Amino acid sequence: MTRSDAVMIEARGVEKWYPNGFHALRGVDLTVEQGEVVVIMGPSGSGKSTFLRTFNALEDFQKGSISVDGITLSDDLRHIDAIRREVGMVFQQFNLFPHLTVLQNLTLAPVLVRKLPKAEVQRRALDLLERVGIAEQAHKYPGQLSGGQQQRVAIARSLCMEPRILLFDEPTSALDPEMVQEVLEVMQALARDGMTMVVVTHEVRFARQVAHRVVLMDAGVVVESAPPEQFFTDPQHERSRQFLSQIS
Amino acid sequence: MAPVSPVMVRPGPWQRLRRELFASRVDGLISIGLIGGLVAVGLGLAKWVLVQAQWTVISANSTLFAVGRYPLEQQWRLWLLTTLLALATGLSWGLLRALPRSGASARAWPRNDRWAVAILVVLALWRPMALQLALPIQLRWWAITGLLLLARWAAGRWGAAIPASARRWMPLIWPLLYLLGMVLISGGLGLVRVAPSDWGGLLLTLLMATFSILLCFPLGVLLALGRRSNLPLLRWGSVLYIEFVRGAPLITLLFLGQNILGFLLPGGLAPDRVWRAAWVLTFFAAAYVAEAVRSGLAAIPAGQLEAARSLGLPMPQALIHVVLPQALRVALPATVGQFISLLQDTTLLSLIGLLDLLGTARTVMANPAYLGRNAEVYLVLAVLFWCCCAALGLGSRALETRLNPTAPSNVTPSR
Repeated sequence: MTRSDAVMIEARGVEKWYPNGFHALRGVDLTVEQGEVVVIMGPSGSGKSTFLRTFNALEDFQKGSISVDGITLSDDLRHIDAIRREVGMVFQQFNLFPHLTVLQNLTLAPVLVRKLPKAEVQRRALDLLERVGIAEQAHKYPGQLSGGQQQRVAIARSLCMEPRILLFDEPTSALDPEMVQEVLEVMQALARDGMTMVVVTHEVRFARQVAHRVVLMDAGVVVESAPPEQFFTDPQHERSRQFLSQIS
Repeated sequence: MAPVSPVMVRPGPWQRLRRELFASRVDGLISIGLIGGLVAVGLGLAKWVLVQAQWTVISANSTLFAVGRYPLEQQWRLWLLTTLLALATGLSWGLLRALPRSGASARAWPRNDRWAVAILVVLALWRPMALQLALPIQLRWWAITGLLLLARWAAGRWGAAIPASARRWMPLIWPLLYLLGMVLISGGLGLVRVAPSDWGGLLLTLLMATFSILLCFPLGVLLALGRRSNLPLLRWGSVLYIEFVRGAPLITLLFLGQNILGFLLPGGLAPDRVWRAAWVLTFFAAAYVAEAVRSGLAAIPAGQLEAARSLGLPMPQALIHVVLPQALRVALPATVGQFISLLQDTTLLSLIGLLDLLGTARTVMANPAYLGRNAEVYLVLAVLFWCCCAALGLGSRALETRLNPTAPSNVTPSR
């Protein structure tokens, strides 16, 4: 594995209250190094998706600090836009743009945001579609693809911006069981290529095989953070044991 | 052996008619009653139209109905404009057929188009006879119809050969034509000025309607975005405006516009009465369009904006390229509904003394020579308005199909 010690994400004491007063994050710390694959697990409502979404400012937070790729997250819009250019995100519901073709979904942001020539972006987009195994669907609309294909397009769309970090928010939870594998394989290949990834998921097998570290969140705090071997065979905390017994 | 699919036998027209209209004794009685009623009304109407009605009130005033008191020696400008409009229509129509969206197979003359051509030809042949037009005018209408069809044919034939770079600019002929049309109608740039108070009839109605429709749409989109904005001042401003306008009847606002603008602005600055009304119509319709667009915006999942933003698109670009194209398509039927009622609302202009189609009709009916000819005039008015609204409705449905990426006609066959 190609892992250097450069820190890509550094979150310190992150706290978030929703407008209705709910205390969603209660002082979360996390450090993600370059090339590292971190899987965040936890019961629903534990704040894991909320935490993930603070990394590219889709959610704000009230206390603590987060820096991504050396840029400190603040209210400064230029910083937020700069971070979003470097951080790709894959959603549970794919969120492909239904009015654009697959190819246009991929090329939209690089052409508009990175101001790259269209022909070059299209070449790269087709390469990426080839890589995720759906080059022949480039001119179809998202609505004509299966869920697994849509999610692979969504991953390719994020990659087309050449991000340094990829965030996955339960990427396989909305998929039919037989389509989960094709998406996980793409993610596994990305991890092998050294992409820094933070993945919120319930897929134990993926966590075991691909993750460098598994983080368990519960009630807005990190309960345990350990390499997958240790996490799944010898959890240190009572809450982790309880969680593992529930999902296995 | 090929599998036999169920219900393959299609009933003949007689059987179907029998099944649908005379399934039981009660059904039969209701059907006979309704058909009898319809036939009686139809016969009565036909008898009145063909025998009793006196259509001289229409044929003698056809110019008045068309353009009002637009000076006779300047009317060539309107003919020129009509000719250009016909050319642009034919061109756009043909190009739409020659260049369907994203690779769907092009069909040169679909059935709808053949129908449209037939209707155009019938109109061109029937209109001069019905209105007893003078020969030169009759010839002009034929030439204009011919030009439209010629442009349609040529664009459909060779449209695909136009290079893509030039094609992108083709839609621009419409705004250009609109500006040119305004100059041709009102004068300026070397043409004699024709004051707005001299515009009338169908010309004024269509002018008011297109002006308001074109301007109220962007205004409505901005108001809808404002209403959903996070900035309190913008949001409350939009809400206040929309609710105020929607809370007042249009006729009140029209009178208000006529009187207050005159008081507020010193002499020369207040726009002409016609333009005052046009602006009031525009601002009025914008509030309703805003609500239609807002419903479209609400229909787009939040994930769309999140995905666009997480790809690094700044807010304006995310709105323009991701949210609005989808939201406006959802809002299209409701928006066109607003446009149609806006077109009909232009008749209120006659109440503030402008000579739109209805206003012109009222002056004609006030002429002692045409006493008691109200039915003829109102029928023609109704038909004219129906044609305009039907055209808007058809256009909106065509646009809906074209903008729907998964409509059967737009889907690329899989390779």
